[in-house]
Amino acid sequence: MKRLIPASGSVRPSRLAGRLLAAALALSLPMAAAESARQSTLVIGGDFSDLITLDPGVSYEFTGSLITGNLYDTLVGFEGNDLSKVRPRLASSWKVTPTATGSQITFTLRPATFSTGRPVTSADVVYSMNRVISLKTPSSFLLTDVANLKVGSVTAPNPTTVVFNIPKTANPNIVLALLTFNVGGIIDSTEAKAHEQNGDFGSAWLRDHSAGSGPFVLNRWDRSAQVALDANPKAFRRSINIKRVILRYMLESSAQQTALNSGEIDVAWDYTPDAFKAAQSNPKLKALKTSTFQMAYLGMNSAKGSPFEDPRVREAVRYAIDQDGIIKSLLQGLGRKVQTIIPLGLAGSNTATPYAYDPAKAKALLAAAGKPNGFDVDFLVSTGSCSGGVPCQDLAAKVQSDLAKVGIRANIKQMVNAELLTTYRAQKAPLIQVAWSPDYPDADGNGTPLADYNAHSLAWRNSWNNAQASKLAQSAAVEVDQSKRVALYKQLTELMVKEGPYAILYQPYKPVVASASVLGFVRNANGDVQFEKISKK
Amino acid sequence: MLIYILRRLALMLFVLWGVTLAAFVISHVVPADPAAAALGNNAREQQLQDFRVRNGLDKPMVVQYAVYMERLAQGDLGTSLRTQSGIAADLRQFFPATLELTLVAVVFALIIGLPLGMLAALRHNRPPDLLARIFALVGGATPVYWLAILALNIFHERLGWLPGPGRIDAYSLAPPVHSGLVTVDALLAHDGEVFVDALRHLILPGLVLGAFSAALLTRMTRSAMLEVLGQDYIRTARSKGLNGQRVIWKHALRNAALPILTVLGSLFGSLLTGAVLTETIFSWPGIGSYATSSAVSLDFPAVMGVTLVAGLAYSLVNLLVDLLYVTLDPRISFS
Repeated sequence: MKRLIPASGSVRPSRLAGRLLAAALALSLPMAAAESARQSTLVIGGDFSDLITLDPGVSYEFTGSLITGNLYDTLVGFEGNDLSKVRPRLASSWKVTPTATGSQITFTLRPATFSTGRPVTSADVVYSMNRVISLKTPSSFLLTDVANLKVGSVTAPNPTTVVFNIPKTANPNIVLALLTFNVGGIIDSTEAKAHEQNGDFGSAWLRDHSAGSGPFVLNRWDRSAQVALDANPKAFRRSINIKRVILRYMLESSAQQTALNSGEIDVAWDYTPDAFKAAQSNPKLKALKTSTFQMAYLGMNSAKGSPFEDPRVREAVRYAIDQDGIIKSLLQGLGRKVQTIIPLGLAGSNTATPYAYDPAKAKALLAAAGKPNGFDVDFLVSTGSCSGGVPCQDLAAKVQSDLAKVGIRANIKQMVNAELLTTYRAQKAPLIQVAWSPDYPDADGNGTPLADYNAHSLAWRNSWNNAQASKLAQSAAVEVDQSKRVALYKQLTELMVKEGPYAILYQPYKPVVASASVLGFVRNANGDVQFEKISKK
Repeated sequence: MLIYILRRLALMLFVLWGVTLAAFVISHVVPADPAAAALGNNAREQQLQDFRVRNGLDKPMVVQYAVYMERLAQGDLGTSLRTQSGIAADLRQFFPATLELTLVAVVFALIIGLPLGMLAALRHNRPPDLLARIFALVGGATPVYWLAILALNIFHERLGWLPGPGRIDAYSLAPPVHSGLVTVDALLAHDGEVFVDALRHLILPGLVLGAFSAALLTRMTRSAMLEVLGQDYIRTARSKGLNGQRVIWKHALRNAALPILTVLGSLFGSLLTGAVLTETIFSWPGIGSYATSSAVSLDFPAVMGVTLVAGLAYSLVNLLVDLLYVTLDPRISFS
């Protein structure tokens, strides 16, 4: 960029200040230089305040995954919006073979180079996996509990081959799916070891430095201000024409709208449904309804003595909720109608919607359950914004009024998310409005937590224990044959929609608005964006 | 004088200790689990337990406070639960942004409030006075977030005169951090473009943050000046034939300065801590934003760190104001 002051250091401060003041008065920036930088820079404005580290093995939040996905390569990955098929990334091919103790995945690595200039070898893969297992990071459980890996389970027979040994208790297809997540990001082990402090595997350094082979390298992370990435010229997934990506912290949707309208940012990450509707009719903008695997739902605590103990009451709630009304008016169409527990877009999801909006039927079910006059229940709701960008209290007000029509008097109790979660985890939420998204793009990411009481997750939090559901979820998790697996999920979703402790409200879209000059911007349901595929005209 | 300062500093320690105790108690009576907040919805029970043990959250409150105070005595502000990084380092990073914004706001408050208040006093009950009174009333009563959104909409979005949120243009990179004040760092890097850009980015949030103070200062200056102008010695000075300007600047303003200074001191303190809303709307990465995000995620050590630093800044500014009294008014002495 062109500078106003020569970098010689010969100008004395006072005169410098005088000149700068004059420049300030003129208020004119050199437009030509700025213009070309603008062409090759992509600026995304959004609420990125969940970012706490850029170490791919530690990061577990949305923003961390979004960025590390562009700094690091995983062995396998997804391309664009298609999350049904795992594709080659650092591994050019792989083979799943059964063994006496379970199964084995053998990956063959493609020739690739880290941004540091070193080649990517199988030793780096082994190091990266062992690192996550030893560090006990927030995402370690994916490798240790879900994939059942230990230090030593991943081996490197030669520089281009990596072998994962997986016990019978884990499903190799799920292992492949979770390796696409940033927990499977491959780090330059030499670089990480060089920056190790007190046995942290370089974690403190990798928090704000990068050592990957992805299409971008980290330029700088100014906490709470911006993250700047520069294109990595050594990458095999090379950026088309974007040389720099800047993720700018803009917490408020209104600030993002302002900045997008004035051309200060190219993409706005968080729009409210109302603002999104306005953007749809603006020819200068592209309003993208990007899919998610999230599910907004009501959890009904089915503990003994609770009104929801009776399955007819839970059914009554499902009949009483006006899903179409929620999606149409509150979400302005930014949601899909779903009633079963596996989100649309994953193998094993079930599109059935057996519960039509029917308050009369809900009343009849309540009467049959011995509650002709309804009942009072505490309804726990988070403050702030809910899935799809709608204020949680607006959503709760709609649910409350729907329930009131059939005689269920839901007494809204708003609390901050952290408090809400604590109450929910303690099985103390009678009726709760929350959302869930799977840890990895596989039906099991919802199947086990929502259906299996023994997993100590959502079914447990709602005090709902059903032996058949647990068994179905467990068998589906380890089933390797895809068609058998889908059949098991069909059974499970059918059982859950009838018996389960949930009333699914919707599967939201995430509204993202881009300037019309931005091409190739795709955000998949995992929340990943491949920055290297974006260009600006 | 030196003894006075030492005594004040010792007293400050007590005040700050009170601040830590209050902040600690308040943040620990919240009925929520910081581990759940830090690890999120999908965390497993074992992860939560590990987190609590690692951060000492499983110990009784008294023990936690003792540990906190022991570390504090060694100058260690603790570790953030959310980011697992040192809080002192966090504050060093976030504080300069707030300081820069606050300084600009104070300058705006001064250059608007002081002349306007003086003008109002000199043109008592005439149009300028009326104007100043309206400004003082409206400026003091307008909520800062509303003013911020309005200012952004008019001067940035509609007219395009001034840049929007953030400290510098989104397409340029900030200069290497030395002082943390972007303007100063830009000068150190000899980057004139970024310096100008940073200055322009300071105007809107500075005006918004300074508006309330400017209004208050206008009112204080006006009433202090009115009172002084009515005093005998001013009439004496005027009757002696001294010219009007000299009377106003030398005699009247100097005597009105004390109440104005008092207000200014407390304003600086409240600006420093009251930047939360302005920082949120202007995407300003200062301690206001840091405090908000820490509070939402139940990051107690971080919240306590912010509280302590705000308390310290407030106390120091107050001390400074008291010391300035002596220089302005020789009749006051601390010995």
